[in-house]
Amino acid sequence: MKKVLIYYEQKQHKNSIELLAVARLIYGGTSADEEHTEAYETYGVSLEPTGSEANGLFDFLIQICGDSAQRERRALAPCQEHDQDNSPGCDALYMTSILAELQQEYQFDCILFPATHMGRMLAPRLAMRLQTGLVADVTDIRYKDGIMEIVRPAFSGKLMAGILSRTAPLMMSVRQNVFSYDPGRLTETRLISYTPKTASSEGLRLLKVREKEASKDIRDSDILISGGGGVMRDFKKLSDLAGELDALVSASRKTVDHGIAPRSIQVGQSGKTVSPKLYLALGINGSIQHIEGLKNVEYMIAVNTNKNAPICSISDIVVEGDAKEFINKLTEKIRKEKSKEARNEFAFQK
Amino acid sequence: MKIICLIKYIPDVENFKYDYERNVLVRENVRMILNPDDACTVAFALKRKDQYPDTVIEVVTMAPQSIIPQLEDLLRLGVDHASLISDKAFVGSDTYVTSRILGRYLREASFDCILTGTHTLDGDTAHVPSQVAELLSLSQMSNVVEIDEAAFCRERAIVEAEEELTFGTYEIALPAVISLRKDRKYKLPYIRYEELSRDVKDRIQIIDNDVLGFAQEEVGIIGSLTQISSTFVKSMEKKKRIIVRNDDEGIDLVYSFLKERGFV
Repeated sequence: MKKVLIYYEQKQHKNSIELLAVARLIYGGTSADEEHTEAYETYGVSLEPTGSEANGLFDFLIQICGDSAQRERRALAPCQEHDQDNSPGCDALYMTSILAELQQEYQFDCILFPATHMGRMLAPRLAMRLQTGLVADVTDIRYKDGIMEIVRPAFSGKLMAGILSRTAPLMMSVRQNVFSYDPGRLTETRLISYTPKTASSEGLRLLKVREKEASKDIRDSDILISGGGGVMRDFKKLSDLAGELDALVSASRKTVDHGIAPRSIQVGQSGKTVSPKLYLALGINGSIQHIEGLKNVEYMIAVNTNKNAPICSISDIVVEGDAKEFINKLTEKIRKEKSKEARNEFAFQK
Repeated sequence: MKIICLIKYIPDVENFKYDYERNVLVRENVRMILNPDDACTVAFALKRKDQYPDTVIEVVTMAPQSIIPQLEDLLRLGVDHASLISDKAFVGSDTYVTSRILGRYLREASFDCILTGTHTLDGDTAHVPSQVAELLSLSQMSNVVEIDEAAFCRERAIVEAEEELTFGTYEIALPAVISLRKDRKYKLPYIRYEELSRDVKDRIQIIDNDVLGFAQEEVGIIGSLTQISSTFVKSMEKKKRIIVRNDDEGIDLVYSFLKERGFV
């Protein structure tokens, strides 16, 4: 029986659960290229007190407890007041020691991390501690003649690389929002309480937490109005159209590099991977790095002065022309139709 | 205070070409640039040195010797020493091996703080800073967007890191590894005119495997725990597309497309 350990971050619930789909691709025979099945069980490990959300998804859920874990947790709590005691922050050095202890005890065959802020600090440390190879930002698993190849983007997504990992345990950090997990039926999660032998290190302390201003996440939006180099001068216009469509505004790397859009709304290899139902690409050329950030987009409309721009070849509709003009016209059209509908409704009620 | 900036030179990915016939990346004649996140570390250290002239800055990089002219330019900007870790035996090392090579040098080096970038534009695994910290048993923080300059001293640093939904302010006991992320606050200055042709060769040391003493099978491709088995360009799925103009007819079509699918 293979054992898979998954680092579960409650604040990143969805991105942590996606890793169950990766475990399924590795051992569950769901890789598209070749059937490869082995019996396996999943272990979630969490420093945070896990609520009911994680229940029914993992076979086992390891809950770290004990004094130092308690202090870690307190330091991790968002929006807390400035903690006066000496509690260390989310310290990857300490967490690595705990995970290494768990590995000693359970001998996992595979350890997966979401490629989050914490996951990306933790996975390389643990790999070094366990002296095993690590593949970062994995986007696919495939089998070739029974040999597993781990796929990840390289060179800012200009190229995909297939990686072989030669050592055990197998370790990966997994790109967020690429995989989706359908649990089918829920399993019975068994809880394990684990008290670490290592004492918490004192090297790191969380002083305060500040919420990000743009709290709406482009990854949660069904519709994205995305602007690139072609609409840089009129970037603010995008929110007019977004307002009408109840959408969020996103951006290409070019606009971010020019300081026009914040990095938090950047789509692409060095930004976020998004899966909206509708993606409106305005003045975006569509480099491979940008396309890399688009997963499972159902419908795409591109507006570009060049109908042969790469983005156009993957779009359902290509509007050849100026993006600013398009925004004005479509916004106006939607408003007109909306008021027409409202009038009809009013007449009907009468 | 002694600051080490652990930096990487990368191929200028913006100008990369792909040879579709041979299925390889054209690496010849590709310009090497200082990775943008890493440039911020040198910029921060130089800014600090401006305020506190007793600051000593050493840049450490693993690269072929052809990078020396670029290191010389950093020295002309005010960096005190450059250590170039370079040996044919190290070529092809993965992140695990690279971290061990750098770690072995850094274990013997003196420093109060190691600054690195968070991401590189080429590999972008972000493994090396964390793994070097692990080898030196130091704390590390990634995605740092600001270091509190007033609070930065030999004992501690206060940094702000960008996380998924929040910015966290952390106090880190030094020595530690602080990994910056590109921000407009930290920008490398230009070399002053009178410095342009200054001879700085005596401030560069080259460290090869004779110094570090790795066994052949520990480093390079042989020593690596991961291996690239294939590279490919992602094929884009082509769609049957409708091309319209930016006129009333085109807008009507887009509108009804949105209407039919329930977007408006």
